Amino acid sequence: MPTMEVDGKKVSWEGRKMILQACQDAGVELPSYCYHPGLSIVASCRICLVEMEQPDPKDPGKLVRVPKLVPSCQTLAADGIKVYSTSPKSVANQKAVMEYLLINHPLDCPVCDQAGECYLQDYSYKYGRAESRFEEDKDKKPKKDIGKHVVLYSDRCIMCTRCVRFTREISGTGELAVFGRGHREQIDVFQGKSLDNPLSGNVIDICPVGALLDKDFLFTQRVWFLKSTPSISPFTSGGENIFVDHNEGRIYRIRPRFNQQVNKWWISDDIRYGFKFVHENRLATISVRGAQGEQRWSKTLEQIVRTFKEIVAAGGPGSTALVLSPFDGTEEMFLAAKWIREIDPQAWLMTNPPKVEGQDQVFKNPTTGVVNYTIRAEKAPNRKGAQKVISYFGGNTASIEDLGQKVQSGQVKAVVVAVDPIAHNESQLVAALGSVPTLIVLSAHNGELVQKASVALPVCTWAEKEGVFENFEGRIQVFQQAIAPLERSRPLGRVFWRLMDLHDTYSAAEARQLMAQAGLTDYAKIALPTHQAKVELMQFAEL
Amino acid sequence: MAFPGPVLLKRIPDDPAQRKLFKFKDYVATGGYEALRKAMAMPPEDIIKLVIDSGLRGRGGAGFPCGTKWTFLPKDLHPRYLAVNYDESEPGTFKDRYLCDYDPHILLEGIAIAAYANRIAISYIYIRGEYHYQAKILEEAIQEAYANGIFGKPHPGTDIVHHCYLHRGAGAYICGEETGLLESLEGKRGWPRIKPPFPAVAGAFAKPTIINNVETLACLPSIIINGAAWFKSMGTPGSAGPKLYGASGHVNKPGVYEDELGIKMSTLIEKYCGGVKGKYKAAIPGGVSMGILGTDQYDAELDFDIGRKYNVLGLGTAGVIVMNDQTDLVVMLRNIVRFFAHESCGQCTPCREGTAWLHKMLSRIIAGFGKPKDFDLLMEVALSMGIGPGTTICGLADGANWAVKTFLQKFPEDFKSRLKSGQVRGVLLSSAAGV
Repeated sequence: MPTMEVDGKKVSWEGRKMILQACQDAGVELPSYCYHPGLSIVASCRICLVEMEQPDPKDPGKLVRVPKLVPSCQTLAADGIKVYSTSPKSVANQKAVMEYLLINHPLDCPVCDQAGECYLQDYSYKYGRAESRFEEDKDKKPKKDIGKHVVLYSDRCIMCTRCVRFTREISGTGELAVFGRGHREQIDVFQGKSLDNPLSGNVIDICPVGALLDKDFLFTQRVWFLKSTPSISPFTSGGENIFVDHNEGRIYRIRPRFNQQVNKWWISDDIRYGFKFVHENRLATISVRGAQGEQRWSKTLEQIVRTFKEIVAAGGPGSTALVLSPFDGTEEMFLAAKWIREIDPQAWLMTNPPKVEGQDQVFKNPTTGVVNYTIRAEKAPNRKGAQKVISYFGGNTASIEDLGQKVQSGQVKAVVVAVDPIAHNESQLVAALGSVPTLIVLSAHNGELVQKASVALPVCTWAEKEGVFENFEGRIQVFQQAIAPLERSRPLGRVFWRLMDLHDTYSAAEARQLMAQAGLTDYAKIALPTHQAKVELMQFAEL
Repeated sequence: MAFPGPVLLKRIPDDPAQRKLFKFKDYVATGGYEALRKAMAMPPEDIIKLVIDSGLRGRGGAGFPCGTKWTFLPKDLHPRYLAVNYDESEPGTFKDRYLCDYDPHILLEGIAIAAYANRIAISYIYIRGEYHYQAKILEEAIQEAYANGIFGKPHPGTDIVHHCYLHRGAGAYICGEETGLLESLEGKRGWPRIKPPFPAVAGAFAKPTIINNVETLACLPSIIINGAAWFKSMGTPGSAGPKLYGASGHVNKPGVYEDELGIKMSTLIEKYCGGVKGKYKAAIPGGVSMGILGTDQYDAELDFDIGRKYNVLGLGTAGVIVMNDQTDLVVMLRNIVRFFAHESCGQCTPCREGTAWLHKMLSRIIAGFGKPKDFDLLMEVALSMGIGPGTTICGLADGANWAVKTFLQKFPEDFKSRLKSGQVRGVLLSSAAGV
């Protein structure tokens, strides 16, 4: 493996890599603004310049110092070179670039959303000088509403052009461009256009400063109050890795979490802004038809078990059914199916079919044709998991329509339904199941089906529990609990854990062990991935 | 060293009243396109060797050996392009304009020779946007050349048809930087490219491309006709051949004059320009980006070694700007820096922010708010940018770097006398800082 020395530390890498990328992968910090591993290289911010020694072409045993500073983002790492980012020349350049970037910067950190996660702040502490020598008037540039989700503070912009390259190379829509020249230049949208594509929110993440900000998140929370929980997107079958940023039980924003195999650095706007359902229209209490006042979990669950046992005893096997939701974790569905099959060995199992919107939306680089991102048409995170559970238990399965007929004919008398948080086909479910004598609805939200339920149980959304989702290609990924469950709601898995009268404390990891013992060994060891970025060499930009 | 008489300007008489535009038939009647015919009879390799032997160095500013540049084209990689750099935007430089005002075919003949020697498929003449009159002349000349079979025909012995197009820029100095020119030619923002790859390998439309200055190409016909030894007989060993000198500023007869390379600046001023108006103080040797020659450097030899000998960036375009002792060099420098701040493409941080800062600082000093520490700050900001220190992609910032650096080094008193406290002479309007 080739090795170079960066400030006295050994850095090794594989394949063709730039010095900066090799250092980032090895955990050695070099400052950079315009470089982004997912975008082409422009080498224009100039803060990553380093001094370099390389083998003398005439005498390979000897190292000679390159007379000029070299951009580490644009210079290929080579075996045996030495890189100095802390030499006086490199440090002088870092100081100069920091000073230049700040002379026209408004320094309005107290009112800037980016404060706390701003590269200008971080690098100013680390590489900048304590005070400015700039006594002139600052250039003033306007704030601009450039798109549905994004607002641009031109005066904070450092012209790294990451956003411009994103719209050209990743989304392929090219809405953003650099206008003007020199110190008057600004990022802007073309006249009459706006930054409106399904991936537009990503420009906010890749902006290293507070120039591109999220309208939805604007002024809602200081970022240092936020806790980030690694999670998986619950909105499509893509299995996008995300961070849920939350504070005091409230989600404020969703950010992408790097995963080279799944979503790289990006997520779609549907995922980014879809989390609102967690805090809206929630089902807060247990309601039992005919009962007044507050109901308790333990009593209600006991009653459910008793009722189901009676129904099976009277109607024989096959008189109950379980409708799973592809929005729940696989282990939860496993517990649910296990419970109903213990009571009724021929209980009907099925999954509520997820919503499918048109075709998969593929985003390619217009010049290279490389696929950057795909928005999946299937709008549920875990249909694969539901299928796996159902095929594991085998036996009686049916579709929602079939179940409706069985209900009409009186064959099925009791149904347990887990409802999607965003129940797209609720009227279909109501039509099929509205007349079931015993209808147990597990739902996070109020809705029509909840109104028809014999017993409605409040359950958690994905953000309030732990579990695993399986994406369209069967990749099993764990999501962690971000916020505390709402009032009386419980994770779906815990409900069935209690129904089966297993010992008191439910944990998703333990449920997965149960699955592993039952033969689903894929679930024995599931942990958060520790990703090592494997980045291919990027092309140079064509701006 | 002997200059036999005008080479490039042989069709342009000194007397303005007698100058006229040479159309195709006038050009041919005065020996035009003879060199092309002679070149077509030679193998292309011989032409390249001849150009290398002649010691022809690029006239656009950097002085890179022309023939050597041609040899960088990868073998057997086609199509190849020739981009003619006619984006003559450097303040003080107007030699190419003068040449094509009257004798456009000398350029077209040079293009045809270079295209034949290098098996070029398309030649683009990238002309500065403001040169609309010259663009019209060239457009007509290209039509004439097509009509007379100079362009639009395959190179002898190949099936590569050579075409020549005129491309007008939109008025940006940065598009005179070779890769900025290529970007602009491709219809993009004229932001210089990071190298490698070099244009000879992946230039216009990612194809091998040669970029030559107008004057460089205009030298080719005479080299073909008269040979390398004749060409080398002019100039100095390191800087061969004739050169167009532009003279402006405080001289009695400003204009474009031709002589061999290596003549003294004093010769240029006194022999051709009728001497300095007033008393000589300083001069800029070749466009404002080259820095300034001091009062004691009046006799500087104008050749490609000038940079090393007289502490300027280089000969540049040999557009000499002469200043007499009435010149306020602070105001002059502010004007130069204003130009760079205005023309900075905005790609690299040091140039984008640094040039504007220099301009604002100098505006403040001129308004009388200068402070003694500004001297060092001007110097530090200037020295931090350019491809010299390696902090920018292209050489635009080097122009500002060298201008400020040499002004401060060679005329420190002009600045220091303005940087004493209590010298308020005016009001600093914030609009003065707007470029």
